[in-house]
Amino acid sequence: MADVSSSNRGTAQAKPEIDRNALAIALHRKSRSFGPFFWIPMCWLILVAIACIFAPFWGLPPADEIDWAYIQSPPVEGHPLGTDNLGRDMLSRIIWGGRVSLTVGFAAPFIGVGLGMILGMIAGYYRGWADEVIGILIDAWLAIPGLVVLLLFSVVFGGSLFMVCVSLGLLFIPTAARITRAATLNYSGREFVLAAKAMGASDFRILRKEIFPNIIWPLIAFILIDIPIAIVIEGALSFLGLSVKAPTPSWGGIIAEGREVLETMPHIAMYPTIIMFLTVLCFNLVGDAIRRRLADVREGAI
Amino acid sequence: MRYLLYRLRRLAIVLGVVTFITFLLVNVLPGDVAYQMAGMDSSEEEVQAIRDELGLGRPVLVRYAEWVGGVFTGDWGKSFISDENVWDAITDRFPVSFELMILAQFLALAMAIPAGIASAFRPNGRADRIIGGLAFASVSMPSFMTAILLIFVFALGLGWLPATGYEPLSSGLWANLRPMILPALSLALVEWTILMRTLRVEMIAVLQENYIALARAKGMSNLRILLVHALRPSSFSMITLLGLQVARLLGGTIIIEQIFGIPGVGRLLIHAVYTRDFIVIQGCVTFFALAFVTANFLVDIAYAWLDPRIRTGGAHG
Amino acid sequence: MAEIVLDVRNQKTSFVTGRGMLAAVDGVSFTLERGKTLGVVGESGSGKSVLSRSIMRLLPGNALVPADSRVVLNGKDLTRLDEGALRRLRGPEMAIVFQDPMTSLNPVLTIGKQIMEVLTFHLGMPKRAARVRAVELLKAVGLPQPDVRVDQYPHQLSGGMRQRVAIAIAIACDPDLLIADEPTTALDVTVQAEILDLLQRMVRERNMAMILITHDMGVVAGRCDEVAVMYAGRIVEQAPVRDLFRNTRMPYTAALLSSIPRVTDPPHRRLDAIEGRPPDLINPPPGCPFAPRCKLADAACDAGVPPLEGPGRHRYACIRPLGQEAAA
Repeated sequence: MADVSSSNRGTAQAKPEIDRNALAIALHRKSRSFGPFFWIPMCWLILVAIACIFAPFWGLPPADEIDWAYIQSPPVEGHPLGTDNLGRDMLSRIIWGGRVSLTVGFAAPFIGVGLGMILGMIAGYYRGWADEVIGILIDAWLAIPGLVVLLLFSVVFGGSLFMVCVSLGLLFIPTAARITRAATLNYSGREFVLAAKAMGASDFRILRKEIFPNIIWPLIAFILIDIPIAIVIEGALSFLGLSVKAPTPSWGGIIAEGREVLETMPHIAMYPTIIMFLTVLCFNLVGDAIRRRLADVREGAI
Repeated sequence: MRYLLYRLRRLAIVLGVVTFITFLLVNVLPGDVAYQMAGMDSSEEEVQAIRDELGLGRPVLVRYAEWVGGVFTGDWGKSFISDENVWDAITDRFPVSFELMILAQFLALAMAIPAGIASAFRPNGRADRIIGGLAFASVSMPSFMTAILLIFVFALGLGWLPATGYEPLSSGLWANLRPMILPALSLALVEWTILMRTLRVEMIAVLQENYIALARAKGMSNLRILLVHALRPSSFSMITLLGLQVARLLGGTIIIEQIFGIPGVGRLLIHAVYTRDFIVIQGCVTFFALAFVTANFLVDIAYAWLDPRIRTGGAHG
Repeated sequence: MAEIVLDVRNQKTSFVTGRGMLAAVDGVSFTLERGKTLGVVGESGSGKSVLSRSIMRLLPGNALVPADSRVVLNGKDLTRLDEGALRRLRGPEMAIVFQDPMTSLNPVLTIGKQIMEVLTFHLGMPKRAARVRAVELLKAVGLPQPDVRVDQYPHQLSGGMRQRVAIAIAIACDPDLLIADEPTTALDVTVQAEILDLLQRMVRERNMAMILITHDMGVVAGRCDEVAVMYAGRIVEQAPVRDLFRNTRMPYTAALLSSIPRVTDPPHRRLDAIEGRPPDLINPPPGCPFAPRCKLADAACDAGVPPLEGPGRHRYACIRPLGQEAAA
C-alpha cells in the first residue's frame, strides 16, 4: 500500500474524491491472501483426513460388524448416524469408506500426472515419430469414455485398491501429457535450453534440470484439480460395484446400497452423499484457491 | 479439404488403436474367456474344448484381423451368454442412449448459454459470483449423486416424475419424455458447468474486441451485443467441447441408465461386464469409440457454420 | 457565429490501476462547430484515444470521471444522461471510426447486416429498405460492387475496403459529430490519402463536425480547420491550422513538426525523434509535463503546470514559448 499513499500525496487537493479513489485502488489491489473460502474447506478436509487416517483408534464398531438389534435404524445411541440395511454402523462405514476415497483421490492423480508428464516430455522434446505415436495413443485414450476404460480394467485386473488407483490414474494421462507436451515444446526452443545443449548436456539432464522445473507448476495445479475428480470417479465406480471388493466399504458403494432403500431409509444414501459432496466441494475450493495463489506468485515473479 | 482428409486418416488410425488395445485387453490378459465360460470347477480339458470352439488357440493378430473383417461386413460376433447378435443388440439399444444424451446436452446448453453470458457480461459482478458458486457446487456433485437426490425429491418426495423406467416413443411423446427428464437432468447438471465456464472465458475475451466496442459505439443494446455480436464468435471452444464431451456423456449414460433402469447401450455394457461377456464388451467399446469419432467429425463441420472464414475459404486472414 | 455541435469542458478521465490513479485525460476543454474539423495530434499514450471514448461515453469499468467534467453535444449534457439515452445518441448524433479496420468489424456477420442493424435499430427502417440504404451507403463510400459486397464477410475485403465499410456504418444515421480515431494508421500508405479524402468529403457533403485523431502532423495539415496538440493528457497547444504551422509556440509541437519527413530531405536522414519518454501519468511531474524532455526548459518550468492561454484562437500551455524569446 505504500506506493498508493505516496501517489495520493502528489494530487492531494480535492480531499473527498481522493478518498474514494484510494478506496477504489485498495479494492483493485485487494490482497489475494487465502480467505475464508480457503480456510473453512481446509478445516473440513483436515477433519475428514484425521477421521480417516486414525480410523482404527476411534473405538468404532468394525465396518462390517452387524448389530442385529439395530437393522436399518435411524440414528440412535451407539450408532450416531444409524445403521445400514444389514445393521452395520453407518459412521464407521463412512469413515472406513473415506480411507478408500482419499487414497484413490491422492494416488491416482500422482500416478497419472507422473506418467503423463513423462510421455508429454518425450513427445514435446523429441518431436518426430515419438510425438506422432504418443499423439495417436492419447487420441485413442480419449476416444473411450473414462468409465468404460475403468470397467474394462476392473474386469481384467480385478478390484484391488492398488489396481483401482493405477487404472484411475491412467485416466489422467492424456490431459497431463498434452499440457506437458505444449510446455516442453515451448521451453525446448528457449535460449537456456539451447545453451545447455551447446554445453553438451545430455537429453536426460536437459529434461531434468532445464525443462522439468519450468513445467512442474502447471502440473501441480493440474493434480489439485484432479484430486476431487478422482474421488468422484472412484465413487461412480464403487457405486457400480466395480471398485474395491465388498465388504470393504466405500462411499459410492454405501450410496448404492442406500439407493435400494431410498424410499424407506433415505438416511443410508443421504449421509454418505452429503459427506462426499462436502469433501469434493472443499477439495475444489482449496484447489482453486491454491491454483490462483500459484498463478499470482508466478505472475509476480515475472 | 486437405485438413479434413488428414483428420479422417487420423481418426481411422485412432479407431484401429482403440479396437486393437481393447481386443488385447479382453483376449490376452488374465481372466481368460474360456475359463470364465467353463465355470469355476471345470477341468483343463473342458476349458481347452471351449478355447478350440472359439478359436482362441490361434495368434491374437489373426483373430483381431478376423474380428475387424467381421466388423466391416456387419458381423460383430455373438454374445457368449445370450447368443444375441452383438450388432443387433447395440443398434436396438442405441437410440435410447442417444435420446438421453441429446436431451442431456440440450438441457446443459440451455443452462450454460444464459449463465455463461450473464457471467461474462460483468466478470466478478454479482451474477458472475452467484453463477460461479452454483457451478462449483454442481461440479462437486457427480451425476449418480445428483440422480439420487433428484429421485428423492421429484420422484419419491413430490411424486411428479417416475423414479425409473422407459417408454418407447410409440406410446406418445410425453410418455416417452417423462421418464427421461430426471436422467437427462442428472447428466446435464454436471455437464453445464464446463460448457458455461468455457463460454464465459471466451466471451470475456471477445467482449474486449474492437468490433464489440464498435457495436457499442453504434448504440446497440447490451442484449443485442451479447446475443448477436458476441455469442457466435465466443462459441468455438464450447462447440469443440460438445464433441469432446460425447465421451464423458457416454460414460455418464452408463451409470445413469443403470440407476434409472433405462435400456440403453450403457446398460448392455454394464451387464456384459458383470457377466464377463467379452465379445459384447468389445462391441460396445468399439461402438463408443466410433460414436466419439463421429461426434468430433461433426464438430469440425459445425465450425464451418460458425466461422465464415472457413466456410467461404477466405484467403485474407 | 456557426452552430456549436460539441462543447467539452474540463474533461478528466482517470483509470484505477494496481499502482494508483492514472490520469489519462487531465482537464481538456474545447468547442467544435458544425462543418469544421478539429485535428487532435499526439504521441501514443497522450490520451487522445481516451478523449474520443470519453466523448462517446464508452469507457471501461475502471474509469473515473469527476463530476465537474462536461461533454455537451447539441445542447445535451452527455455526462447527465443514462445509458439508454446515450445509446439513442450513438449513431444518430455521434459516431466513431476506429483505428484498425481488421478488428473493428464483426467477423461472423455480413457487412450488410452490420450496416443494416444501425438503420433498423435507430431509424426503425424495415429490413428491405435498410438493405437498399446499406447498398447506397456502400456506394457513397466508394466501395466497388456494393450490391455484391453487401452480402460478404469482412475477411473477404481488403483493409482499405473495410475502413470504407466502417465509415459507411458511422455515417449511416447522419450523425452530427464524427470521430475518426487514427482512421488510417493501420492502412497501407497508398490507401491512407483515399480514406482521408473520403472522410473530408463526407464531412462537407453531410455538414458534420469531425474530430480527426492522429499521431501524424502530416495528416492534419491539409484537412483540418483547427489543431489541438495533446501531451500527457492535456492540450498543450491549440490553434487554427495555419497559425499552428507558421507560428508554432509550444516546443513540443515544434518537435512533432520536425519529425515529419520532408520530400526535400536527403535520403536516409535520421528523423528527429523526440528524446526521452512521456511522463508517468500515475506520478506526473509537478510542473510542465514536457519540461524533462524540453531543450528550452529552465527551473521556472518545474514550478507549476502552465495554463492553456494565448491571444485569440491560438492558445498554448508554455511559459517559454518559441518565437517570443526576445520579448521574454
